Amino acid sequence: MADTATGQWHAVMDVDDLWEGELESVDVEGTSVLLINLGGNQVMAYRNRCPHQDWPLQDGDLDGTTLTCAQHLWEFDVTSGRGVNPANCALVGYECKVDEDGTVQVRV
Amino acid sequence: MSRYVLVGGGVATAATATGLRAAGFAGEIVLVSGEPHLPYERPPLSKEYLAGTFGRGDFQANPDGWAADNDIELVLGTRAQALDPGLRRLSLSDGSTLTYDALVLGTGVRARTLPGFEGDRVHVVRTIADSERLAERLVPGRHLAILGAGFIGCEVAAVAAAKGVRVTVFEPEALPLARVVGPEVGHAMLDVHGEQGVVIRTGELVTGMSETPSGVELRTRDGEVVECDDVLVGVGSVPNTELAVEAGLDVDGGILADEHGRTSAPDVYAVGDVASRLHHGRHVRVEHHDTAVRHGAALARTLLGESEPWTGEHYFWSHQYEHNVQSLGRLGGQTVLRGSLEERSFTVFSLADGRITGMVALNRPRDLLQTRKVLAVPHEVTAAQLADEDFALKGLLPQRPRRSEVRA
Repeated sequence: MADTATGQWHAVMDVDDLWEGELESVDVEGTSVLLINLGGNQVMAYRNRCPHQDWPLQDGDLDGTTLTCAQHLWEFDVTSGRGVNPANCALVGYECKVDEDGTVQVRV
Repeated sequence: MSRYVLVGGGVATAATATGLRAAGFAGEIVLVSGEPHLPYERPPLSKEYLAGTFGRGDFQANPDGWAADNDIELVLGTRAQALDPGLRRLSLSDGSTLTYDALVLGTGVRARTLPGFEGDRVHVVRTIADSERLAERLVPGRHLAILGAGFIGCEVAAVAAAKGVRVTVFEPEALPLARVVGPEVGHAMLDVHGEQGVVIRTGELVTGMSETPSGVELRTRDGEVVECDDVLVGVGSVPNTELAVEAGLDVDGGILADEHGRTSAPDVYAVGDVASRLHHGRHVRVEHHDTAVRHGAALARTLLGESEPWTGEHYFWSHQYEHNVQSLGRLGGQTVLRGSLEERSFTVFSLADGRITGMVALNRPRDLLQTRKVLAVPHEVTAAQLADEDFALKGLLPQRPRRSEVRA
């Protein structure tokens, strides 16, 4: 997280291409970023690595707002990034915004 | 103020402690562990930690400051030696005693040893110390003999082979892992190990060993002598029930507990590998990381007065080389193959009365995630449907109206 405050904004995709309920991964300057459309023009961006053992998350399952990692079934609340099971961990989040023209921007 | 005492340094007790504090429990929490470490995950001991890709900090159950931040008193390097449930008192190996309002037994299991197999060159893998001791011996060109092609044996074989160690595995059964994951995954992993240069000698039993000045000589049941540098004994585990037995608790294989983890003694609970818990109507003891975490988290809620037990499906995984084995639920009965054995991408479902009861998969995490949801709901499916990759497992889930498809 320390680098996000000084990171640069990057246009990564159009929000119309980011379906609700789907997990999308994009490469931002060599960093794999997981994007999740919560609806209402709210998009969340996380480092695309499970905090447990660094497996990529895009093969996981998104059910409502709960993301389950496909490897060891760790669960996260994607509205906050916080661990659900186990509760003592969290996804690494990036600032993310949707411009008026629908461009999704991530600060990495 | 009430005091909850947790015995054991694994993920189950750690999850209980975390859950108690997260829910606002303000009493004392004391965690007693015979090992000198903060509670840690054990799966990496035969994988990433043994391989050297994880450091110690990478598989602690909680970060370094956890105990202090959550006001959890750690009593490490200290064993619980005697329990008096009548007096609600626990005696520790340092001579001290602890009284408790609730006691959680998460004493886990230890590696099973074999009589006559001991010495500097004989290993097991259950603790950080075991894994470190074995890792030092994994030097290219040496010969490691592994007794037992279970998960520990197969995972260590994969790590050792990748380090350039010559590996021979002796397995009395016809296939590795097969008792737990069935013949399809067993055959596939037998081939995978073979391609990596690991020799798995199935149907063979090592009956004795002797140390020589330069190594170890093993004798097989058939009278063959095999020389090696080190021996890993991977023949299962023994639950650490002695404390419970001596205290008069009901024990049958594991510490018997109801679906909430309550043992036969008042305010004494059992979690994790040592617990034989009521699960869907029968006592089951499983040694899965995921189950231990869920037991532990659910017990925190029980201790705080919630009455909902954990009834989820048992899940475990294994990583060997680049392959991923995952299993969920109860296996057995009618089985159905989905996917390709040749491509090493398949799931074997277990079916009963038109319902999936469990699955084991090689390199199919998607099937696992979807099956996990299907198992949680009423469903009806045929073997032909499951075998057809064009049949979507998702279709077995209740149809929800798709959330807003209107784009901003």
